[in-house]
Amino acid sequence: MSRPLLAVSGLTKRYRRGGKSIAAVDDVSFDIEPGETLALAGPSGSGKSTIARLLLRLIESDAGRIEFEGGDFLSLSGAALRARRARLQMVFQDPLAAFNPRATVARVLDDPLRIHGIATRSERPRRIAALLDRVGLSADLAGRAIHEISGGQRQRIAIARAIATKPSLIVLDEAVSALDVSVRRQILQLLLDLQREERIAYLFISHDLGVISAIAHRVVILDAGRVAESGNARAVIGAPQSTIGKALVTAAPKLNRTSTQGAADRQ
Amino acid sequence: MNPLRRFLRAPEAIAGAIILVALFAIALSASLFFPGDPQAIAGPALLPPFQDWSLPLGTDRLGRDVLAELFHGARTSLVVGLAAAAAAIAVGAIVGTLAGFTGGLVDEVLMRITDAFQTVPSFLLALAFVSVVGPSLGVVVAAIALGAWTGPARVARAEVLSIRERDFVAGARVIGMHPLEIAFREVLPNALPPVLALSSVIVAAAILTEAALSFLGLGDPNRMTWGGMIAEGRAVLRAAPFLSIIPGVALVLTVLGVYLAGEGVVETTAVRRSLS
Repeated sequence: MSRPLLAVSGLTKRYRRGGKSIAAVDDVSFDIEPGETLALAGPSGSGKSTIARLLLRLIESDAGRIEFEGGDFLSLSGAALRARRARLQMVFQDPLAAFNPRATVARVLDDPLRIHGIATRSERPRRIAALLDRVGLSADLAGRAIHEISGGQRQRIAIARAIATKPSLIVLDEAVSALDVSVRRQILQLLLDLQREERIAYLFISHDLGVISAIAHRVVILDAGRVAESGNARAVIGAPQSTIGKALVTAAPKLNRTSTQGAADRQ
Repeated sequence: MNPLRRFLRAPEAIAGAIILVALFAIALSASLFFPGDPQAIAGPALLPPFQDWSLPLGTDRLGRDVLAELFHGARTSLVVGLAAAAAAIAVGAIVGTLAGFTGGLVDEVLMRITDAFQTVPSFLLALAFVSVVGPSLGVVVAAIALGAWTGPARVARAEVLSIRERDFVAGARVIGMHPLEIAFREVLPNALPPVLALSSVIVAAAILTEAALSFLGLGDPNRMTWGGMIAEGRAVLRAAPFLSIIPGVALVLTVLGVYLAGEGVVETTAVRRSLS
């Protein structure tokens, strides 16, 4: 078996609250293979988003190792870390908050191309048009301000920005949760298409088991910062073993009928 | 609604704007109407206003044309006011952004320096600075900015502290942007509106400080200033009060105009921000 794309072991993050130390993420380990989708599920406060931010080095961990593409990701700093970030991207939950409110679509997509020296200044407009086309948007959108376009379009722009640097792994932190149901389905389809064509791995963070069973190969269920159970997504969601897994599955059908339908459509 | 129209609905904002436009017109046309040296003797000394229509506001103790002095003095007031405020806001915004964005030791050091500047009365600071370096226009601007940048620095820092926690800053880090580029290209422009709201107060204060320095004889000696005119008129306050009253009224009107127009701009942009 080849080495995993991402290997997380013993990841721990503590916060101090009122003099007491609380572990938001407690000894969490998991692997992601190239081209695979791993879902992180769990109720609010279970540490899902903290793990995303730890992986992207937006916050620093207290203990544990992160190996990414065969190298120690936690030992990187400064320019080396910034260069490595090209391979590990993130899409945020709220597509409006994720962009500078003064930015235009063109500027948002120009930044990664410029920073990582992917295209020369004269080539960039063409590359931006190609990226927009790649996520199913018209190239005319480039001149528009971020706040002028719709939520679904914004999340497509966020995905375009994430794939601009040709990453091997994209962390999707509740990336479809803020979208309405029909748009959500289109974005999930776009993500599946991109994965099939470019072999991008996803770490898909969601509290929505319907969406997870539609997109993920494997799932890790978290409870209070610890791994409660993990395994094949369909198997775990079909017959959860842990208490929290059972609770999530029981809560899911009432809330997510339409998204589970989306999963059924593609089978 | 269009911000310009909202601005024009407020009567005090219009009054402020009219005063400012008139002031700019006076400052820009000074060398057109009064091409000569305003410090040259133009007629008999201490001619009262409205006596001789070639010297409508009369002459001072040395026989200089008061209207010419007033026009050229408007130039100095505006240049010093705008330049000092621009310098204070630029320095304050940069210091505040660096302190707020970097945090830790850099923040501590920068904010203690800010505290140190804030505890010294700004006029005293300007006075000391000009006395040591010597009076010239650039030094006066620097001296006033020296006491005025702390306000913008504090406001910018507070704003940056809240902006740096937002997702788009995390997004900029994720795509590998350099921290300095994040601070000055992503964060600073979004922190500017409340800092710029201070500008009218700073411009008005700078004009007053310049006048006070000139009154004490610490203005640029080669330039006509309103503060200098008042100081000059003080010697003959009983015999020719108009020599102090005319530049005094000009000063009051200017500060009022800057303040009213600035408030008008802040009001209109504040409404627009709360609507969006």
